[in-house]
Amino acid sequence: MRTILSFAVLLSTVAGADPALAQSGPTVPAPGAETSIPPEVPPPVSPVARPQPAQHELGTAVPGEPPAAAPRVRAPQEEDAPVSETPASEEAPPPPSEAAAPAEPQPAADAPLAVADVDTELRTTTPEQQRLVHGAPLYNPNVSVHIVQKKRFADDGKHEFALYPLAMQVNGKFTNHAGSALHYTYHLQENFALQVSGLYNWHSNESRFNLELIDKVREQAQAASSLLLKWGAQAGVEVTPLYGKFAFYDDHLAQFSLILSGGAGFGGTRHLIRPEVANQVEGETFTVPARFGDTGTRFVGSVGGGLRVQFGDSYAVRLEVRDLVYTARVDRVDGCNLADFEMLEAARAGNEPFANLQLSGGCQFQKFDGVDPDTKKNYREDIILGRDLVAEPSSDVLNNVSFYAGFSILF
Amino acid sequence: MILALTALSAAGQQEQTLEGVVVRNRLYQPAGNLELSPSVGVSMLTYLTAHYTLNLGVAYNLFDTFAVEGRAGYAFSRQTGLARSISESFLNRDDKRITDELEDLWRMNLHGVVGLRWAPVYGKLSLMAEVPTHFQAYLWAGGGVGSFQRQSLIQCTNVVNRGLGVCDDRSDPLDRSTATENFWVKESRVAPVLSAAVGFRFFAFERHGVKFELRDWVFRDAFRVALSRDDWEAGRDTGTPAPSPGLTHLVQFDIGYTFLF
Repeated sequence: MRTILSFAVLLSTVAGADPALAQSGPTVPAPGAETSIPPEVPPPVSPVARPQPAQHELGTAVPGEPPAAAPRVRAPQEEDAPVSETPASEEAPPPPSEAAAPAEPQPAADAPLAVADVDTELRTTTPEQQRLVHGAPLYNPNVSVHIVQKKRFADDGKHEFALYPLAMQVNGKFTNHAGSALHYTYHLQENFALQVSGLYNWHSNESRFNLELIDKVREQAQAASSLLLKWGAQAGVEVTPLYGKFAFYDDHLAQFSLILSGGAGFGGTRHLIRPEVANQVEGETFTVPARFGDTGTRFVGSVGGGLRVQFGDSYAVRLEVRDLVYTARVDRVDGCNLADFEMLEAARAGNEPFANLQLSGGCQFQKFDGVDPDTKKNYREDIILGRDLVAEPSSDVLNNVSFYAGFSILF
Repeated sequence: MILALTALSAAGQQEQTLEGVVVRNRLYQPAGNLELSPSVGVSMLTYLTAHYTLNLGVAYNLFDTFAVEGRAGYAFSRQTGLARSISESFLNRDDKRITDELEDLWRMNLHGVVGLRWAPVYGKLSLMAEVPTHFQAYLWAGGGVGSFQRQSLIQCTNVVNRGLGVCDDRSDPLDRSTATENFWVKESRVAPVLSAAVGFRFFAFERHGVKFELRDWVFRDAFRVALSRDDWEAGRDTGTPAPSPGLTHLVQFDIGYTFLF
């Protein structure tokens, strides 16, 4: 950064320009060059005044291209312009006369800066080395080219709240998750941030595929493989190694960053005990909603990546994919282990109360007792289903890959 | 959301004023050019089948943002290990005498589609110092036809060893690879297929590009319901076609190369 500014000051001094000009403006120097942007020429009066060539050539700078230029011929400013301190522009090429004029235009703050002794250079470099690439002498060993491209919005020191109304699992073979997430990010530096995130899955259930296997072929995923994540809370970091910009047609410009994130924390899990069923009592049918059993809190890690498209100084849209990784071992459901379920089942068969049973401390036997007043469902019938889940303890490492779509506010 | 959209609109207008020059910086303007694009694709998520596609696309860029493209290719497909496990264990299951065929078992092979590609987004990013990378983001939609095959996981017409789940002529009962023929019910058909994709293509040098896309192949499923084990094991047709079989989605991640003429 300081080197770049030093070159800018030097260049401005040599050209007789006001040194302050090279450092002025609200632009934020990027850590790396985004593109070879030569000195900007004054914009045309009308932004739609660009003539369209009859046939576009790939790899050439179309605007301002002389009509007589044959196809596949490099634009004049790229081939003919000598190595100078104000190389011709790829992006808005000025007329040749302007490019050759020594006194104008004044270099912009984000101009590519080439510092060299031109006389010496011409004696010691080959034509190939003098060739300009998009207006910059990239192949010239005697020229240091530094380019500062405006990054319109700085992140350094900013706070960012991101709300993801939809975070939907995209790799659900045996499970389906959909939820919402909230992230708080503090940008320690331009490319590095600390992040705290929370996720709540308002929908988490076994997949239709798993239910189809149960229904048609009497097979289902192991309990650990179909463990459901109800919520998650994590802390981690976020880096933005790349940034760029894009135009939507010719009307809208947006700046984006590639974001990579990682974190660790905890998540609450549950497992489906019984899917939604119809309960018939005394000739009346009740729809009994699906029942889930708590399977405890698990360690959760995550890695992710995506795009943050920034609009204005304070708003951004975020599109990310995150892989939540968590260990799954199902040996308790609602705090009850296999021995507890065996005792509960024996008591159910004998129509005995559960309160006097010698159950383990965390077993919430009340959840398997009584009759639902609305659906007339006897909860004791679910004991055997809970027992099946823990009868063969299973473990797995689950990858819950979800797509996050949301927006954020920076301040 | 309204707040965000309002901000986007305002920001867009501001950007147009401040840096409208960017829209004239398109190093690659493919309008009027033909392009050739070979690509390979793998299934994003495998349930009972897995596909690996090889495609060749020929596109003509009507405008910088619109192109018409024809794609044809072949999908190498197989049943997954989960599917084989289900079929072998179901062979020995006696508590399900009447059942339905499983969904989404059709595997695509030869296919060809024609579609439109809309690439309204043109951008640049910095991958390495001093070298900008230009890209387009696009949506693709089209349709065509494909050939499909289906092998049942339920209907075995010649049970060789029920306990081991063997329904083929393997010489070693414990080694599936020794079989030369299996006796699962097979079907094939040619059917319409729709395809949609979203992707990025990155330009390199003057005429080369690399593209990454997420592509969904959609076709109508077809299977039978209310099948009787006694009938299929006797080699008789059984069951009736499912009245509403739904659609099968093959979602793939494609990597391709593009040469622009």
